[in-house]
Amino acid sequence: MPWRLPYRWSTALGGRRATALALILALQAMAAVFFVGDVVADVTFEGVDLHLVLEAVVAFALILGVVFGAFEMRRTLERAERSDTALSAARGAMTDLIETRFAEWGLTPAENEVALLALKGFDVAAIAGLRGAASGTVRAQLARVYAKSGVASRAELLSIFMDDLIAAPVTKTPADAGPAQHHPRGR
Amino acid sequence: MAGSEGQAAEREVPRWDPLVRLTHWGIAAAVLLNGLITEEGGQVHVWIGYAAFAMLALRLVWGAIGTGPARFSAFPPSLSAARAHVADILSSRRRTHRSHNPLGALMAYALWGTLAVVTVTGIAMAGSPLAPRAGDDVRHERVAVAGDHGEEDDEHEGAEDEAGETLEEVHEAAANLLLLLAALHVGGVALESRVSGRNLVRPMVKGS
Repeated sequence: MPWRLPYRWSTALGGRRATALALILALQAMAAVFFVGDVVADVTFEGVDLHLVLEAVVAFALILGVVFGAFEMRRTLERAERSDTALSAARGAMTDLIETRFAEWGLTPAENEVALLALKGFDVAAIAGLRGAASGTVRAQLARVYAKSGVASRAELLSIFMDDLIAAPVTKTPADAGPAQHHPRGR
Repeated sequence: MAGSEGQAAEREVPRWDPLVRLTHWGIAAAVLLNGLITEEGGQVHVWIGYAAFAMLALRLVWGAIGTGPARFSAFPPSLSAARAHVADILSSRRRTHRSHNPLGALMAYALWGTLAVVTVTGIAMAGSPLAPRAGDDVRHERVAVAGDHGEEDDEHEGAEDEAGETLEEVHEAAANLLLLLAALHVGGVALESRVSGRNLVRPMVKGS
């Protein structure tokens, strides 16, 4: 039974807001070019009058609108990109943290995998199905993981990592923080 | 983890923002329509030409103030980089480029330059988009006038007429060059996608 997050983070490039902004910018750019073209032609053929001055002002406003719209669009895209980057940085940091803790506890490769799946939210039956193992085996492996990490349940196992993440802001090397200052685990 | 591997693979091709994609396909459609379908000098031809010019202008503005891979600084024109890229292809080395690959960058600048010539000469001939035939009519009148008076009668008229003809010739030559470059561009993308095993079309359609 595959398990997924219920929603996906919207990405910078697929965002509806950015697409709408791009469309509006394109329309504005076209309007600006048509207006400028008309103004230039009118000046050439008819000379300058009030009507033309007004048209020129509109054309200028449209051009300004395009440039400022482009800046706004860049900000929108960069903001979305930043949240993507932050998410992937956090993901990488979380992976580092998990690997460091697992190594500290001296988990075997099998326990490592079972513990990771447990952290991701799979239950014993699902883990057994994924690994092609008996439920009893998985339950025993999980029990050894809990014993090695000094917790009593999956919720407590998860809380170790949540505590690490929430107590200190996520940085590139969260593993540097010593275990002493962390959650008072019942060892 | 499978998820992060998938993401790394995605980053191997450039990610194009909506504005890049919109202007790209807008210009592609305009070039095909005006190059192959619409009546030369007709109202539709002129309107599409103006729209193409607007798309080009917007893309160039975006190249200056846009984001990441869309910016000129992400793909500076460089012959030596292009040569290195050809060597990469020949030795089937895979290198990732966050924007256009160096060969594609040269093509982008060539296409933009040619499109600029085509649209500017076209607009110079057509005049205002709101009276697109006016320029045409005026020109025909001038041709008639020049014919009546003879070329040596009125040097000024003759010079203007010559300028008009030069515009038209430049417009047509550049338009043909543009179609040729566009065909080369499509061929280049197909070849690069095949050789590198990375689909370069998808990011231009879907973004990444």
